[in-house]
Amino acid sequence: MRIRDLFIIWLLFWPTVSMAQESSSVMEKVDKTESTHVWDELSEGLEYSLRFLTFGTCRKVADSSQNPNNDFFQISRYSTDLEIRPDLRLTFRRLDLSAKPRMNLEWNAWKDGVKEGDTDWDDDWFVNEWLARIQGTENLFVSYGRENLQWGPSYLFSPSNPFFGDNGRSNPKQEVPGMDFARLVWLPVISWTISLIASMDEGRQEFFYYEFEKTYALKLDYSGQEAYASMILSHQEGDRNRLGAFGGWTATDALLLYGEGTISKGTNALYPEMANNPFEASMDAVYDKDSSLKGTFLAGGSYTLEAGPTLTMEYVYNGSGYSDGEAEAYYRLRQEASDAYYLAGPIKSLSQLTLSQTADPRLRFLRRNYIMFQYNHNDIWDVLNLTFRWTQNIDDSSGQFISIVECFVGDHTQLFSIGSVNSGALDSEFGSILNYQWMIGLEYAF
Amino acid sequence: MNIKFQASGFKCTVLCVILFSSLLFYIKPVLAEISPKEILSKADEARGNVEGVEWEIKIESIENGRTQKRTLKITARDFNSLAEFLSPPKVKGRKLLMIDRNMWFIKPGLRKPVPISPRQKLMGGASNGDIASTNYAGDYDATLVSEDRVNGERCFLFNLVAHNTKVTYGRIRYWISKERRIGVKAEFFTVSGKMFKSATFEYENNILMQGKPKPFVSKMVITDAVVKSNVTTMNYSKVRIKKIPDSTFNLNLLVR
Repeated sequence: MRIRDLFIIWLLFWPTVSMAQESSSVMEKVDKTESTHVWDELSEGLEYSLRFLTFGTCRKVADSSQNPNNDFFQISRYSTDLEIRPDLRLTFRRLDLSAKPRMNLEWNAWKDGVKEGDTDWDDDWFVNEWLARIQGTENLFVSYGRENLQWGPSYLFSPSNPFFGDNGRSNPKQEVPGMDFARLVWLPVISWTISLIASMDEGRQEFFYYEFEKTYALKLDYSGQEAYASMILSHQEGDRNRLGAFGGWTATDALLLYGEGTISKGTNALYPEMANNPFEASMDAVYDKDSSLKGTFLAGGSYTLEAGPTLTMEYVYNGSGYSDGEAEAYYRLRQEASDAYYLAGPIKSLSQLTLSQTADPRLRFLRRNYIMFQYNHNDIWDVLNLTFRWTQNIDDSSGQFISIVECFVGDHTQLFSIGSVNSGALDSEFGSILNYQWMIGLEYAF
Repeated sequence: MNIKFQASGFKCTVLCVILFSSLLFYIKPVLAEISPKEILSKADEARGNVEGVEWEIKIESIENGRTQKRTLKITARDFNSLAEFLSPPKVKGRKLLMIDRNMWFIKPGLRKPVPISPRQKLMGGASNGDIASTNYAGDYDATLVSEDRVNGERCFLFNLVAHNTKVTYGRIRYWISKERRIGVKAEFFTVSGKMFKSATFEYENNILMQGKPKPFVSKMVITDAVVKSNVTTMNYSKVRIKKIPDSTFNLNLLVR
């Protein structure tokens, strides 16, 4: 565990300990009832939970141009993990403190590529999330901490969120790494909320191919009798302003309708473009200075059947995604870079740079049209949760199937299985990285 | 013999007319004093629809021979409720936020709140809407059907018809105690008119409202209309009237 993380935990819970010590040391001097009251408040405001997770994962790497012979990503075939996840929280008067320290022990085995036959043990000690929040007035809150800020009603992804691309719903057992935020939340009336949010540090998020840049956002939330809506205006340093929004409507007791989207002038996403280099193309931010509006919109709805299951459908139009021509150029460039990956000299560096750009062209989805269907049924016989999700890339006909099965054994133990199977050609979005991945494991909650 | 029978039939008819008329005369002044909506509002108060209240529910559900248990802490104000799952450990930390008809489900470890519909089942025969404070006065049109007795207690029997399709139940037959102004029994019907569950209520808890003690629900027993052995019992305890700030029901502050 890093010294900074230990310091954070100490800083967070020091006031509790010191207050507790203080309260016990002054017990004899001050009115006993009052001290007992403080102590009672402290113990009443302290909450904690502890979960142990152990799981094994098996994955089959796709032999695509993005990851030649698995030498670019070097993804292991098998892995096993043990994670200890305590959650601590203290609410004391106007102060709210929380911390989620984590311990992860992981074993990996490689069966493909340059690391074929290798095995490796790794341990990681970190604080995935922590928060210190103070209530200035009854309706004003100021906080700083490492958070996983998620919002919006959609399952597939949350285009209105300028901070996180992953909403954590494809694998609920893997926590989304936290990012450091300063936040001010003001509730002028119960139905309206105004938030000022600034991402101050990358925290646990990893930016492989780009530098972290601070992002500032103004978020306005409205909650009505049977509908809600939010608007998010954000600005990333060195980049552009973005306007995001989401809203939902409880149409009947069983039907929910919702939408989410974002719009900006131009985009910093990378597109294949003709270039004077051995590949005769490169990935460039072609629309960086463009003044035309680029938007991503999601429309969805879910219906709960009387028998219990909920069916959900979402459609995404990703205006920044590649057209057929751009996609063709993208895959051609990726193939060129892949072919040059094992060559010596400057072309190898160019190949690595190009593959890193094609791996993350700053697009959450590569193409323009997507549709998602989901079946979800929870608490079947009080022991079984089922989620099956199919995502179809309409433009290149590739798809992804995700199944999440959770089964409780007793009051503490849960067995789970999370699988994803990708279909499509090697030069398609979902067929590019993995053919399949399957995780099975056990969670024990105290 | 025939004359005797006719005479006794006439007497019966007269007696019935007198009884029915007196019943009408009796009901009319009561309803002139207080409207069905007001009676429903009073009954709603005893089921959580007050300025600010906190309580704990122990739910035990027997469904097809299988017993399930949950303990929840409910914080409610007007039509907004927050349900926090306290036990068993497998569900501890889950939260259900109900802001009027908008509902979100929050699972520990999964930071993104999931919007859910009121129809989604909480456990056994209890829907999400059942644990929240009720707003029958606002959600339904009430018509007085008749008077009835429930466990010997005289009750108004109301027929509640939903204003729209946004509520969990299309129609409710609701027995409200004439004396205590609290709902003691209910039958719930789907929009298609099929009865799918019934419930009885007890009020052993008390809350102080404007300095006066008022009864508050202590037990709700839900029985499946088809499989009578499927029973969900909700025991209410630790009822506390308190000031609930707006921030309790705010998603931006709730997910930690």
